[in-house]
Amino acid sequence: MRTLLLLLLLAAPAVAADPFGKVAAQVNEKCVKIFGAGGFRGATNYSTGVLVSADGHFVTIASQTLDTSELIVHLHDGRRMKAVVLATEPELDIALCYIRLEGKRDILKEPNGLDLAHFDIAEAAKRKPAEAGDWVLAHSNLFEIAMRDEPLSVMQGSITGVSKLHGKRGIFDFPYTGDVYVVDAITNGPGAGGGPLTTRKGELLGLIGREIKNGQSETWINYAIPVFAEVEIKEDKDKLTKVSIPQFVELAKQGKYKTRPKLELGKGPGGYTGIKFVPNVLDRTPPYVDEVTPGSPAAKAGIQVNDLVSFIDGEPIYSIKTYLAVMSRTQPGGTVRMEVRRGDNLQSVEIVLGEWPKGTLKPAAAKPDEKK
Amino acid sequence: MLFDRRDALKALGLAPLALAAGRTFAAPDKTAADAEAERVKVITLVQPAVAAVCFYGGQVCGSGVVISDDGYCLTNFHVVQPTGSVMQCGLADGKLYDSVLVGQDRVGDVALVKLLPKKDGDKFPFVKLGDSDTVEVGDWSLAMGNPFGLALDFTPTVTYGLISGVKRYQPPEGKGTLEYTDCIQFDTSINPGNSGGPLFNMKGELIGINGRGSFEKRGRVNSGVGYAISINQIKNFLAHMKAGIDTDHATLGARVSTAGEEAGTLDNLVFSQIQDDSDAARRGLKPQDQLVAFAGRRMDSTNQFKNVLGIYPMGWRLPLRYKAAGQGATKETLVRLLGNMDKEVEREDQPNDKPPPGPRPNQPPPNPAAAKSAKSPAAKMVEAKKGYANFYFNRQETKRLLAAFKKAHGEATAFTGNWKAEGDMKLADGRAGELKLEWIDDKEGFTEVKLARGNIAPDALKPLAPDIPPADRFLPQGSGGLLSALFQFKLFFSKLDAAGGFKSNDSINPGFTHGGMEPVYPIDADMKVKVGEELTKSRIDCEVIRTAVDNYVTKWYFHPKDATLVGWETTFVKEEDPCEVYACDHKDVNGVKLPHCLIVRWGDKVYATLTIKSYTLGKK
Repeated sequence: MRTLLLLLLLAAPAVAADPFGKVAAQVNEKCVKIFGAGGFRGATNYSTGVLVSADGHFVTIASQTLDTSELIVHLHDGRRMKAVVLATEPELDIALCYIRLEGKRDILKEPNGLDLAHFDIAEAAKRKPAEAGDWVLAHSNLFEIAMRDEPLSVMQGSITGVSKLHGKRGIFDFPYTGDVYVVDAITNGPGAGGGPLTTRKGELLGLIGREIKNGQSETWINYAIPVFAEVEIKEDKDKLTKVSIPQFVELAKQGKYKTRPKLELGKGPGGYTGIKFVPNVLDRTPPYVDEVTPGSPAAKAGIQVNDLVSFIDGEPIYSIKTYLAVMSRTQPGGTVRMEVRRGDNLQSVEIVLGEWPKGTLKPAAAKPDEKK
Repeated sequence: MLFDRRDALKALGLAPLALAAGRTFAAPDKTAADAEAERVKVITLVQPAVAAVCFYGGQVCGSGVVISDDGYCLTNFHVVQPTGSVMQCGLADGKLYDSVLVGQDRVGDVALVKLLPKKDGDKFPFVKLGDSDTVEVGDWSLAMGNPFGLALDFTPTVTYGLISGVKRYQPPEGKGTLEYTDCIQFDTSINPGNSGGPLFNMKGELIGINGRGSFEKRGRVNSGVGYAISINQIKNFLAHMKAGIDTDHATLGARVSTAGEEAGTLDNLVFSQIQDDSDAARRGLKPQDQLVAFAGRRMDSTNQFKNVLGIYPMGWRLPLRYKAAGQGATKETLVRLLGNMDKEVEREDQPNDKPPPGPRPNQPPPNPAAAKSAKSPAAKMVEAKKGYANFYFNRQETKRLLAAFKKAHGEATAFTGNWKAEGDMKLADGRAGELKLEWIDDKEGFTEVKLARGNIAPDALKPLAPDIPPADRFLPQGSGGLLSALFQFKLFFSKLDAAGGFKSNDSINPGFTHGGMEPVYPIDADMKVKVGEELTKSRIDCEVIRTAVDNYVTKWYFHPKDATLVGWETTFVKEEDPCEVYACDHKDVNGVKLPHCLIVRWGDKVYATLTIKSYTLGKK
């Protein structure tokens, strides 16, 4: 009984009739929905941004969504604008972007006439940090639910800790090593990155981080990079410089922040089969075929939905993870022999591996397309 | 006063833990305790009506909620899809009730089932339907149901969370069905097994049916993003489902797109394509016209349009406001919606369709208890028919509505002879004259309808006789077929059921069926077609009987309160507008209440008003 009570209380609002609609609407006006590059490697091509100036500077996480010359944002009122990245800082996992109006040559110098609601990020960074147990609201365009003038999604939760993360995303280490706000709600869905985490009064606490998994437990982490974040970066060989988020924003606004190179990438996905598996939720999710892309090598070889991949070239396959590991050693054009369990029988098929078609969702260990 | 969650810890005797962190606390806040007490009260109130929808035998498949004391229960279509027509529902009283599928909305992912009481006349606990249009982002909500088939005694699980978004659009999944339009998004936790269960506001009113979430790579468990079908959408389909109909959603027969992708501007929605046979085309809409509002809602984006369109059943007639290309003023007109299931049915055979989305436990093997369920009393309430989820309930609803109609109007079934009516007829263009109306049976048994205005030669038609010149069916000219409609009128009043006179070869409308509910916009005797706000004001959501005879299809509209006849419309060919007749001034004639005022409309024009001073009803 006590457990039950505790749970109910922990989820209790201040007053049952204390809706957050007004706060949500105010915060929504200070945000943009970002649409850019992506769609491969399980990476989303949309994210969320926080306006930090009246004329259209916004911060977001330094995700691959920004890797495009065709960056589009939707303002809260439905206006659709182009935007450019002014600078990124991988160590803070942050980028400063700017809304670009047509016909402006020197976007940094010519006034653009915009007058947008925005957060004062310098002020926000000076505020007393939030603590474990504090109520928070997360505002973002996770799952790309909102377009145009549709408002961001709002979620509620509380801060469960302010701590360092040992996350990993795909096979990459998480670049930012400072303290983050860990949240007890599922705030960090696809595309949530860059959205504001606020107090329940709508004060900016941090930016919802990119999607990462805990390296030890393989669980997705819900967290935000605090506005007070500050990192030491190596500019030259030995020289360490401290950079905070407001400093980064200020320098980047003036075009004075030197964007540093991106982090290294991992190894390739191997050859293409066209098999899609059931969602990989467990550490050892059995590799049941959920879908076979018509016309793909697997389809030609006769792989069927609900087949369980049991061996590849004689190696036992226990999980989607081992499947991906084994497949990453293959090449397009190569041939693999797969034993699949279909009903009560073990079937043997040979698959001639293909090239990954453009725009296919590659497994997490895949290498992204080369940028031209 | 603000409540600090730390107060709650203290209240639970956990203060030492928190104090160790070096904090101090105030006494627990009264508002918090009040809020909790209120919440517990609401949960206690609604809990008995929350159902676990099970295979026959008790294996849990999803959730549901009872909405009336006679056991009607809402759930998801994707929950009852595997159970078949006969299932069982468990309530919080720990009992399993034999249940039967009544109606379904495959596109909207809703199904209506009926729980059978253990003893005839026993009442079920039920919840009140709320108004989902008043739900706002930031409101609190309660989701209830049976996630993971957790509760063996069917006591529902309660979760509590925030409304994250309203009027959301989630595209169809799985064979083009399960399209969530105008839906409610929440962070309230839902998991497999919650599907079909209720979403409540904090007053305990039903605001939606939980059925779907966004998952992607997160696996089919709570992802913080759940969706409920809004109860207001379900209300639009409820009468259809009660009538056992396999309901269809609608298309306008026109495509819209955003005009002008210039950066920084707010775009307009314009029609890019209009189907020739659509009502929109008949109302004069053209490509490049701007869609301003639909069904009373402003239209700014294609999502909004899809959202609003998605909440209405096929065949509904709704106001549309548009601005003709190059013109300044907006116009409003009524458009009838076309069905869209045809194309879905075509799609059904395609391979590689994804399984239906949404939380649901791992799919068990096909109905494990089919044999057992055949002995259930619910099995006697199943009648398969194309176009219906369960035709048994269509018969029931037809019977009920006819009984109510007879109570309101009396029975004219004794008067199967010739009829006459006299009075005045006034055309919309001002011409007027004495009205003489006759229904005369000839030797072969064909009824001829004759209509005369003043000294002008009468128009006459024997609608069922062979070799009728096609144009005659639409007489008098400009009425769209008033003679045909008046023929239906006498047939309806003097026969009153399928066996009597209505019969057709159409399998879905075999002659006399219940057609659910549709909005009707009667016009006044002053013959003005009212537009704008007035249009919505005059709207009456009427119960519908659909009759068919020969190639005539007629929809009869009955007032939801007392089943008086509001009007009817008769169609001979689908591609033409029906002749609409609005009936008023019902007065007694030989013990039968007949309308003494008929207002006739065709397309968007009023044709005439018929004021009847006397009827003569002949017997055979």
